[in-house]
Amino acid sequence: MVAHRGTPSVESIRNFCIIAHIDHGKSTLADRLIQSCGAVEDREFRDQILDSMDIERERGITIKSNTVTLLYEAQDGNRYTLNLIDTPGHVDFSHEVRRSLMSCEGALLLVDASQGVEAQTVANLYLALEYDLELVPVINKIDLPSADIERAREEISEDLGLDPYEAVLCSAKQGIGIEDVLEAVVHKLPPPIGDPEAKLQALIFDAQYDPYRGVVMICRVKDGRLRPGQRIRLMHSDKEFEVEEVGQLQLRRVETDELSAGSVGYVIAGIKTVRDIAIGDTITEARSPAEEPLPGYKEAKPVVFSSIYPMSTDDYEDLTTALDKLALNDAALTYEKDSSVALGFGFRCGFLGLLHLDVVQERLKREYGLSLILSAPSVRYEITLQSGEQIAVDNPTLYPDPSQIQSATEPYIKASIMMPERYIGVVMELCREKRGLNTTFNYLSVGRVELTSELPLAEVLFDFYDKLKTVTQGYGSFDYEMLDYRPTDLVKVDILVNGEPVDALSQLVHRDMSRARAVRYCERLEETIPRQQFKIAIQGAIGGQIIARSTINAYRKDVTAKCYGGDITRKRKLLEKQREGKKRMKVVGAVEIPQAAFMAVLTSDSQK
Amino acid sequence: MSEFDGPGLYIHVPFCTHICPYCDFSVLTGDRSWQTRYLRHLLLEIELLTDSGWPEQVREPPSEAFDTIYFGGGTPSMLQPGHLESILEAVRAKMHVRKDAWLFLEANPEDVTLKAATTWRQMGFRTISLGVQSFAEDNLAFLGRQHSPRAARRGLDNALAAGFDTVAMDLIYGIPDQSPRAWQNDLDEALAAGPHHLSCYQLTVHPRTPFGFRQLRGELMEMDNDDQAELFMLTHRHLAVGGMPGYEISNFAAGPQHRSLHNQKYWSHSPYLGLGPSAHSFAGGRRWWNPRKIKAWMAPLDAGRPPLDSAEELGLESLVLESLMLGLRTYAGVDFDNLPGGLGPTLWRDNRATIDELVKRGLATVDRSRLRPTLGGLAIADTVARSLDLGCLRKEPP
Repeated sequence: MVAHRGTPSVESIRNFCIIAHIDHGKSTLADRLIQSCGAVEDREFRDQILDSMDIERERGITIKSNTVTLLYEAQDGNRYTLNLIDTPGHVDFSHEVRRSLMSCEGALLLVDASQGVEAQTVANLYLALEYDLELVPVINKIDLPSADIERAREEISEDLGLDPYEAVLCSAKQGIGIEDVLEAVVHKLPPPIGDPEAKLQALIFDAQYDPYRGVVMICRVKDGRLRPGQRIRLMHSDKEFEVEEVGQLQLRRVETDELSAGSVGYVIAGIKTVRDIAIGDTITEARSPAEEPLPGYKEAKPVVFSSIYPMSTDDYEDLTTALDKLALNDAALTYEKDSSVALGFGFRCGFLGLLHLDVVQERLKREYGLSLILSAPSVRYEITLQSGEQIAVDNPTLYPDPSQIQSATEPYIKASIMMPERYIGVVMELCREKRGLNTTFNYLSVGRVELTSELPLAEVLFDFYDKLKTVTQGYGSFDYEMLDYRPTDLVKVDILVNGEPVDALSQLVHRDMSRARAVRYCERLEETIPRQQFKIAIQGAIGGQIIARSTINAYRKDVTAKCYGGDITRKRKLLEKQREGKKRMKVVGAVEIPQAAFMAVLTSDSQK
Repeated sequence: MSEFDGPGLYIHVPFCTHICPYCDFSVLTGDRSWQTRYLRHLLLEIELLTDSGWPEQVREPPSEAFDTIYFGGGTPSMLQPGHLESILEAVRAKMHVRKDAWLFLEANPEDVTLKAATTWRQMGFRTISLGVQSFAEDNLAFLGRQHSPRAARRGLDNALAAGFDTVAMDLIYGIPDQSPRAWQNDLDEALAAGPHHLSCYQLTVHPRTPFGFRQLRGELMEMDNDDQAELFMLTHRHLAVGGMPGYEISNFAAGPQHRSLHNQKYWSHSPYLGLGPSAHSFAGGRRWWNPRKIKAWMAPLDAGRPPLDSAEELGLESLVLESLMLGLRTYAGVDFDNLPGGLGPTLWRDNRATIDELVKRGLATVDRSRLRPTLGGLAIADTVARSLDLGCLRKEPP
């Protein structure tokens, strides 16, 4: 590959992203673009090359955005530097999507030829329009027998308001039309506008962590130049660093002399952890700073909270280390020490959403080999005390005495659900069950409906996805945005085992849902706590009031009246195994509660 | 019984005319030619023993003579008397066997004709154990047994008439939907038949048996724990009243002289040697066992090697755990002073609170250094064995 140390002219740069509904083939198209520009040798190639995490590959989703610079020789004979800024494909990460979009001038809007326009396509389109991006529709998967190009064109025109005959046809999987896509990028998307001689302004839109070099900031230079040796200042955090290295991301980092206006690339500046920087911050020169930072800085606030405990208390140290390491390249993850009587020491963690929680949990399991128990996810409630003081509570154990509470509010989201029209009835019913307000729907095209509903986030956290998937037989897609905080009638439901509260199972719930929730927890525990030498009472309570109960009778027999002959080894091994299992059980009020019971209560049906 | 505290010999005879759907022992049907091959290989296995009468791997073979020989299965009564004779001859030729060794034979009730019983008696068998399982037609059908209640009674009569020292019988209970009433009737029928020893085993569904598959398909449910407990208590109480007090979880005898000398060796870590497929052996802190499948057992013998499947060296903790686990299944309980390793007093002290709790809840009594389970304690013997802390047996790393 030609080393490309110089700075390309602004006119030859195109910064673009691909926006698509999940599963419409974004990663595959990215793969093909990368391949056809020769950024990667065929033998190094693996599918979904930008999705570097195993979880991303497996689930076919992009969580962490990745950026790649492609060097493309167009049909007009000119060489172009195409910066493909990959965007995460999930609502939890919409802040990342926004920052990625801010770094682009244009976007390829991918539509599946057989699926047509989907919820996210529309949501992302609006986002893209907000950032004034030039859009080129791309109809993908035209090779599929079920492809209906005309219908896709119709939807592009009607649902998205774009010129359907601008659409480029391709099949990323079969490698059809890739050249056309690249030509469209060059000719239909505008070059960046920027002045290399103006004061430095560069937007940090992503960061990676390199164990040898520290934080690698990915940024888009708006004006000015970034060079090694330069003293830079991060405008929001007001920290200063010295640039060690800049370059392009051609899958591997390729060092260059500078990054100038319009360019996208990386900056290494001896920064130890991603916590020292903020994504969305603006880099400027310390000596002659820009007047103002670029727009786009918005703190990524966690909205979902859960406590993570190691299965075995011996693993606490390992969990600490693992979280510290994860946090190095996941700036959105927050965590602080937490402890539970039942589960021991752990961490209270904040996440951007349920998927983020899932991803963190999966990474802790896979990359660090930890076995974990997670408490039921909670939202952050705003509580006004009788004293007039306002507090935020995201952990049931910190819930104040109800007599001290004047009022409480909870976060609402605006849910947007797209589905074939035959599911309207069941989905509206689901929204009603979940305390949804102002549920409305409109037809996107014949047979396809978009339903919107204002839902309490807390209800969405509790088996909403699962139920939606079930009632729509997998055809419903879900997207949401945070709305506002609204008054709520909140109660704390405790679960008691033989009269002792199991703190890890306490939860904050709307009063209307409290009984159903308590009953469900009691039932799950009844199913999973093995019978013991004495009777076990399981109760759900609000304060002193019992709202649900179940009982596990004592067993009276625990011995196998069987002939083992001389095969005592088998019998002993069984007993040893049980003894081992007993050690891992948590004891609450003299009752041995197996991990499985916590898992059964805290895991949703679909994950089981 | 102090006069029978030598090693025991077990010989596994893996044949059955029919395989019961609950059985997970090493058994096969198969024609007569199998029996000849089995016999040839069993004699080879005996031949491979060293002059001490133990396999080569036993470094310090027990010096005492074998004083019990137990033919189990399978269905040892299917073997022709001539075959049994050759086995006994080979055993006596190769191993130190006490002249008055107690010989046990498991038998299918239908095989116990007066003629056969007399022949076995003359060969020196002193205990015959009949696999009756039940006196109720429907239970026998459920259990896949081929004999009728009448055949079972006839077999018992013949065994008693032949003059065995102990006539024993196996029963199975805890059959789905079995009522206490029905089980009590079964027990009464058994008592009326006049055996000296009863083994009452609770139906256990094992994976990879026909019952196991039926359970997986949801067609068979093991009896509810409370109902099992009720039948368990009923068994022990009813048989005690009927003159057959229990001495172990599943075993009942009309008098101490009828208790199973051979099985007691298993429970007390006496050395034992097992021959035949799947047979287990124990000596010098080591347990080893033969391959389960008859072909896997025969193949090494054909090559002139002993048919070893696996072996384990029992550490002190395992030995003590086994002693507790097995002792707590017996009416006699566990004498901590006699536990292996001599750490009984420390164990007792470490578990003082647990022992006090067991006594307080009426699950055990204490007699000096002996912990003796009550009937309620026997019913949860596994829990008791699990709840004892054996920490002091673990060697601290230096």
